[in-house]
Amino acid sequence: MVILAIAQQTIREAFRRRVMWVFLISGVFLIALGPVFGFLSPKDSQTVLRSLGLAAILLAGLFTTIVTCIYLIPVEIERRTIYTVLSKPVQRYEFVLGKFLGGFATVFVNILAMGFVFLIMLYFNEGHKLPTEMVKGVVMTFFQMMLLAALSIFFSTFATPVINFFLSFGIFLVGNLSSVTDSLTTNKNLGVRLAGNVVHYLLPNFGNFNIQNSLIHPTQEIINQGVFIRNNIIYACIYSAVLLTLAILIFDRREV
Amino acid sequence: MAAAISIQGLTKKYVDVWQKQEVVAVNNLNLEVEEGEIFGFLGRNGAGKTTTIKMLLGLVFPTAGDANILGKPMGDNGIKSQLAYLPEETYFYDSMTGWDLLDFYARLFRIPEPERSRRVKLSLEKVRLQPDAWKRNIRGYSKGMRQRTGIAQALINDPKLLFLDEPTSGLDPIAHSELREIVGSLKEEGKTVFLSSHQLADVELICSRVAIIHRGKLLKTGKITDLVAGERTEMVVQGKALNNGMLAKLKAIVPNISAESNDTLRLSSEDSSKVSAIIDLVRGAQGEVLSIVPHKRTLEEVFVETVRKEDGV
Repeated sequence: MVILAIAQQTIREAFRRRVMWVFLISGVFLIALGPVFGFLSPKDSQTVLRSLGLAAILLAGLFTTIVTCIYLIPVEIERRTIYTVLSKPVQRYEFVLGKFLGGFATVFVNILAMGFVFLIMLYFNEGHKLPTEMVKGVVMTFFQMMLLAALSIFFSTFATPVINFFLSFGIFLVGNLSSVTDSLTTNKNLGVRLAGNVVHYLLPNFGNFNIQNSLIHPTQEIINQGVFIRNNIIYACIYSAVLLTLAILIFDRREV
Repeated sequence: MAAAISIQGLTKKYVDVWQKQEVVAVNNLNLEVEEGEIFGFLGRNGAGKTTTIKMLLGLVFPTAGDANILGKPMGDNGIKSQLAYLPEETYFYDSMTGWDLLDFYARLFRIPEPERSRRVKLSLEKVRLQPDAWKRNIRGYSKGMRQRTGIAQALINDPKLLFLDEPTSGLDPIAHSELREIVGSLKEEGKTVFLSSHQLADVELICSRVAIIHRGKLLKTGKITDLVAGERTEMVVQGKALNNGMLAKLKAIVPNISAESNDTLRLSSEDSSKVSAIIDLVRGAQGEVLSIVPHKRTLEEVFVETVRKEDGV
């Protein structure tokens, strides 16, 4: 009940921010423009619509997640609203989990809204057929953002929003270069190999969630796609749980 | 009577990141607050009042010392269901209405419906927030309305012990008086109030005991009646014969005499039994006692004296 109350309060505060609506509307606008770009592009209009749609959901989701989650805990401390919450019978872990769930639900609603518009656009542009394959792309983006939300919440327990922004965004970028970091793990130089191992295995692997290419281009097939998606969802859940546990441990010792 | 708050050697030191500079916010504080009393916690800005409250509520952690609240260790989450806190600056979620905000806080106490709605209504009525404001956004509230909402959120769980940090600061005289009345009425309900305030006149009116803290150190604690004890009587005496030898006679009784004009003297004595002797003397010399004003020491005087003495001023 307490976690839910804090989560609901967080969603309310998040949607009160105009920037949230800017990201959502921009994402929907980009998706809606898909057919126009498809018409103008020399490429197959279906490919353009699908690529643009998934990219718009990823970008809008990325900014929504970072901008929402980096502020959740610092704003409570800065505005001192946290005093009236933590002086009540609220455990600190309940506060962190409530904040995470609220932020995550905000991102979920945004991705859901954009995903819905995206599928509707595809439905009308691809001969009134629902492209269920594309749902997988939206779902993977959703779990990618869940992992990013957990990462931002973790940093927000000890870093300022500005530092958190660079850390979360930076790790998201590096984590998307998993093919590059993977190649470093077999480098001849010991130092590079060690650094490559640390980066590749310790930082969250955001790159594995990018299955857009295989969904859009039938030639780039992922072997055993179902298992790949399932394993990545499990990975996101476990990694997020570890990050949230660390966040709770740090926040438990933090003075407010 | 049992102690609602029992503090032993509570200390809070802040050190900078290089561990070189140390600021002692609270220094070896020992204090007992009895159940059912309104206890005034006095001190200048930065004296350590808020830090003490925050330590008792588990918001910051002590460097040393310990405290028990309602028989449980400070910061214990279980005991928080019987506590309430009104911070100095009342910051709320502005996008919420007064009703929704209280409903949110009630949910944090795990109060189920319909009891929750009943408590929200009761609290808002108790702080006399106009019903037409209940469903309005807090963003549009005046300072007084926000402060009423702050006290209402502190009452939502029907607490046994309330920590109120400057509940009446910055309010207009009517709101000030009404809120002071509300805080005062909590004692009749058997609640214990730990009141941190700069409004010494308010404290004197509603508190039974006080503690004075300065630079983190407890300087004085006790009943207000004991602290302000020692009445002084001021007399203004007028008459033609006053300056002809009368002054010396009066000085033999009361050394503290100042001449206001050629025929008017101001006398001040802490021994009220000397008043009759002075009146007889003045009348005998065809003088006239213009006024006799018993002057009680105020808490403000005690506070200023105590703090200045500590500062060596």
